[in-house]
Amino acid sequence: MTDAIHFPDIDVGHDVPPLRLTLSSDQVRRYAVIARMPGGRFMSDAEARREGLPGQIVPGNMSLALFSRLLNEAFPGTNLQRLSATFRGLVRPDVSLIISGVVTEKHRTDHGDLLECDLVLESAEGDRLVTGTASVQLPTAS
Amino acid sequence: MPEIDRSFIGEEFDHTVFDPVRSEDVLEYMAATGETQPSAHAGDELVAPPTFVVRLRGRRFMPSNLPKDLRIGLDAGKDIAFGVPVRVGDVLTASSTVHDIFEKTGRTGTMKFLVLRTVVTNQRDQQVAVMDQKMMFR
Repeated sequence: MTDAIHFPDIDVGHDVPPLRLTLSSDQVRRYAVIARMPGGRFMSDAEARREGLPGQIVPGNMSLALFSRLLNEAFPGTNLQRLSATFRGLVRPDVSLIISGVVTEKHRTDHGDLLECDLVLESAEGDRLVTGTASVQLPTAS
Repeated sequence: MPEIDRSFIGEEFDHTVFDPVRSEDVLEYMAATGETQPSAHAGDELVAPPTFVVRLRGRRFMPSNLPKDLRIGLDAGKDIAFGVPVRVGDVLTASSTVHDIFEKTGRTGTMKFLVLRTVVTNQRDQQVAVMDQKMMFR
């Protein structure tokens, strides 16, 4: 495992290194199956269109999972304590996505050292499709 | 738009005990999300990524006695507070209630919001997650 980060290593304003990816239709379907999200809208363009959507969409829960992955990769050895997301637009497969974040606060509390982060999943054109916040608990320095 | 009936708040509409967590499901969840970094809890043990809990869908997604205008909505957001991690072999229980119903007026008019809360515990009665799902109805 990569070395864990600690409280002094991170300052407010620290940019979380972005994840850049394009989800394939198959990946979205695979996620929907393992996440037990049976809606046709997550399975294919044809089924999504029958529900009045422009085509297959990415489940909101998958966006949450990508936020979690972003933080786990950026801050190894930390624990995600809280994660929230607001779904603002449709996230579609085969579209370039950028998932990024910034540290907005850091606290020393009785329950450990915490980072607060703002998160965003946006298209390459800059459309903010999902926004979120997270609290990340850092390991206690030994 | 009809008045909000807040009598649903607090009502448990689903209580499901799931089969023990299988390693193949954890690995498949990780593969589907591209998760490769082990969790901080991991050590040599396989621990599920935090959002694995979203797959704990009970038999009912929402109360069966909701009024018509609160049945087909949009997923407006989710908030998850994580407790102890999910480990292979855990037997998880999910209990879902209507946590809140409220109205909000914005530029596009008045919308109703329904917040469904699911509390997940493990076989040791430890809290694994509290998930609030916000549904929006026009």
